[in-house]
Amino acid sequence: MVPVDTPTPPGAAIQPLNEPPPELSAREWHLRIDPLLVIATVGLVCCSLAALFVSTQDDVPGQPHYYVVRQGIYGVVGVCLMYGVSRIDYSRLRQFTYPLYGVMLSSIALVLVLGSVARGSRRWIELPFFNFQPSELGKLLLVLSLAGFMVNRMRTFDRQTTARAVLIGLVPVLLVLAQPDLGTSLVYVVGIAAILFVAGAPVRHFAVLGALAAVAASLAIVVPPMVGVTVFHSYQLQRLTSFIQPSSDPSDAGYQQAQSKIAIGSGEKTGRGVEDSTQVGLEFLPEHHTDFIFAVVGETYGFAGCALVLSLYALLIWRGLHILTIAKNLYGALIAGGITVMLLFQIFVNIGMTVGIMPITGIPAPLLSYGGSSMLVTFLSVGLLQSVHAQARETVARKGRAPLF
Amino acid sequence: MLRLIDRRIGLLFAAFLFMLACALAKAGWLGVVRADDLRNAAVVQQNAVIDVPAQRGTIEDAGGQVLAVSEPAVTVTANPYLIEDPAKVARALSPLLGKPLEEVVDKLTQPETGFVYLAQKIPGDKGRKIKDLGFNGIDLVAEHRRRYPRAWSASQVLGTVGAEGKGLAGLEYSLDRTLHGRDGKRQVVKDGAGAPLSLRERVPAVPGKTVRLTLDAAIQDRTEEVLAEVGRQWSPKGATAIVMDPRDGSVLALANWPRVNANDLGDAPEYAMQNRAVGATYEPGSTFKAFTVASALEDGKITPQTSFYLPPTLQVADREIKESHPRGPVTYTPGQILEKSSNVGAVKIGLLQGRERFHHWIERLGFGRPTGIDLPGEERGIVLPLDRYSDSTMGNLPLGQGISVTPMQMASAYAALANGGMLRPPRIVSQIDGVPQPAPEGRRVMSPETARAVSRMLEGVTGPGGTASGADIPGYVLAGKTGTSQVAELGGYSESKYVASFVGFAPARNPRLLVSVMVDQPSNEIYGGLVAAPAFKQITSFALSYRGIPPE
Repeated sequence: MVPVDTPTPPGAAIQPLNEPPPELSAREWHLRIDPLLVIATVGLVCCSLAALFVSTQDDVPGQPHYYVVRQGIYGVVGVCLMYGVSRIDYSRLRQFTYPLYGVMLSSIALVLVLGSVARGSRRWIELPFFNFQPSELGKLLLVLSLAGFMVNRMRTFDRQTTARAVLIGLVPVLLVLAQPDLGTSLVYVVGIAAILFVAGAPVRHFAVLGALAAVAASLAIVVPPMVGVTVFHSYQLQRLTSFIQPSSDPSDAGYQQAQSKIAIGSGEKTGRGVEDSTQVGLEFLPEHHTDFIFAVVGETYGFAGCALVLSLYALLIWRGLHILTIAKNLYGALIAGGITVMLLFQIFVNIGMTVGIMPITGIPAPLLSYGGSSMLVTFLSVGLLQSVHAQARETVARKGRAPLF
Repeated sequence: MLRLIDRRIGLLFAAFLFMLACALAKAGWLGVVRADDLRNAAVVQQNAVIDVPAQRGTIEDAGGQVLAVSEPAVTVTANPYLIEDPAKVARALSPLLGKPLEEVVDKLTQPETGFVYLAQKIPGDKGRKIKDLGFNGIDLVAEHRRRYPRAWSASQVLGTVGAEGKGLAGLEYSLDRTLHGRDGKRQVVKDGAGAPLSLRERVPAVPGKTVRLTLDAAIQDRTEEVLAEVGRQWSPKGATAIVMDPRDGSVLALANWPRVNANDLGDAPEYAMQNRAVGATYEPGSTFKAFTVASALEDGKITPQTSFYLPPTLQVADREIKESHPRGPVTYTPGQILEKSSNVGAVKIGLLQGRERFHHWIERLGFGRPTGIDLPGEERGIVLPLDRYSDSTMGNLPLGQGISVTPMQMASAYAALANGGMLRPPRIVSQIDGVPQPAPEGRRVMSPETARAVSRMLEGVTGPGGTASGADIPGYVLAGKTGTSQVAELGGYSESKYVASFVGFAPARNPRLLVSVMVDQPSNEIYGGLVAAPAFKQITSFALSYRGIPPE
């Protein structure tokens, strides 16, 4: 039951900008922020810290808590950002749709020029305190700009709308793919699809887009090698196929996944504890602070730990979907839908990769994996969800409507 | 519109629940159902039990000179994935490994493998230097390598050790259990890159025992030199010499020519690597006549004074016995028969004995079965069973034809003549870890009187008119017997291939040295008295003075 405002002329804001959010009393504030969402995010950061504490003790010589401390700082900064964003009326962002889109494109493009090369790809810009990864922030900016675009075109939802939205979304996808970062570009694609889906694009549009994507993907894999251009690196394809056929080569992706499964399995029901987590301690588990951190949880805290993390994620996604249903306008619903589905996709792909039901794509687990960009952007996204929630509550308070669930 | 969006949110929710259920189910499957397997897998890949090779025992000669020793060695391997700068690493390692630069670079840059051997069993000090360089991706495995300090000396006797530390030939093989010791076991906890993190000694390695041989390095060396001279002079196929103390059967030297370098066997031919003193058989020929006489004496069929009328030739069944140097009819005592190496005389004595007694004596003297010395691959020789004797057999056997023996069998049987009638298995191991090994008891095969009588008869051989008259050593009385025999080939005897041999002991009245020389297929000359006896003389004269054995 998403409230849809009466159609407005293109370009005009749904909510008049001259209507500032009312001042909140302490009591009202406590009502308007979703406490369950706060519990989920803070709980996940705590899990992340606990896992990093185990897995990164020996990673930086002389500083056993290097990663834990930094992740903690990101968490604190993130919570502040989340609170700050939740106090903004997200609807005001709609007027910045195109500037936000421009910022996204230019920052991602900048990384191709200035970024530091790590393992053959340019993803980061080195800042004094941390490595800024524009493609992470891009996830949020893409959702905001695409949602704004959709709302503007909502009156005439036809083939053109879908096509334009896809074209708008395709530019950052290709830029990220050029870094190359296959995982993040997949997240973008999912975000675009989610917004179209929530906006109500007809199923046949999805069918056509799916077919086009399949053709494009096969062309991208088959044709460039024949003309001598590299679009996909062999390791990317190998990672995608290796989860079907694991091997024992330590440099190989299948080996990483096998080690991850061994780690989760040897944690059994309640885990081996910090001292005895040998898969992690002896560095059999690769990328144990980023991509495979869920396996660290699995080995150290067992199935109980896994279940806790999954429950917190479930809470996060449930609240996201709930906020989607109560959003006071389409813009809010699209933002909530885009963010939530992107988070869901990242969570499922990362954890699926760790437990061996998805291929390895190098997508970090939101709020769990070590990384400042991912952490801060996730908090910004959750802050926006909180803002959607707060605005909806306020509207309800004013109009007397009850939330769906 | 609204209903559509609601439905879609419901779909999203369903997808979310489905994904959650999948992830939870798989995590639970791994963590609960497959937990035992996976935990095992973790233990297996993180722990390894490796064998720690025990230090192999040393082999030394009677005087404590080292003949074979194991020294620390290092096998160097590399993980090409972990080598950061192959050119630099190769430049540093190539001189230490003793391999050309290009070869090392090739190995370090080998694609698609995480393991290559750079060098096997290089000396331990070089290994330490490599370790000190501290390159990433270079691994060292501690091992031992077998060195033979006297490279060419007694190499066929000592044998070889394989790459896994097991004796493959010679004493290394027959004494492997003593020399090898017991390998230890070590538990290693490895990290993800395969590097060992911690070691726990499970079973400590027990080093092998030191084996002291009866061999004397000086006599061995001299014997080998003499054989080398024989090799130069007569270019035979091969030559074997045994020096023994007849009193207890201790082998003082055992040499085979051609020689091989024990440290670098390379592509030495099979024939050269064989220890032919125990591994090859030949027809003893005239050297066997001493036993023909001894057995008849012991059985009382003859006395040293018995006279034999010897026609120029003698017909036995279908075979005509001739002398090697034709002569007219003579009358010889047994002593003269041996001195002149008369074939007719030996056959006459043999015929007096009869085939049953003669066969009994062949077995009694140890022919046809291994002597029991501590050397591997000992042949038993070929002795015709009694029931397969033909009418002409007794025209062959008394002069050492139709029977095959090893040089070691011949030496030990002669030792019985020299020591007063005791046949003992020859011994080559005198002490193990300082504990003396008892000399084998042996058994009496003839009376001291018989042995002494035959010894006296053999004294004539190196005297004037004997078949080895050039072999005498001034001041000493020697006893010995020449032998010249044809090589038995398929379908009969070779016309051109001979074995020249000499067995003798000194001093004749109180024997303390027994030397047996066998030259296989000499060219130009065939007679034992000319080919083998001079070698006997050179070896014996050295050994007598080296061991300070006075003339009687």
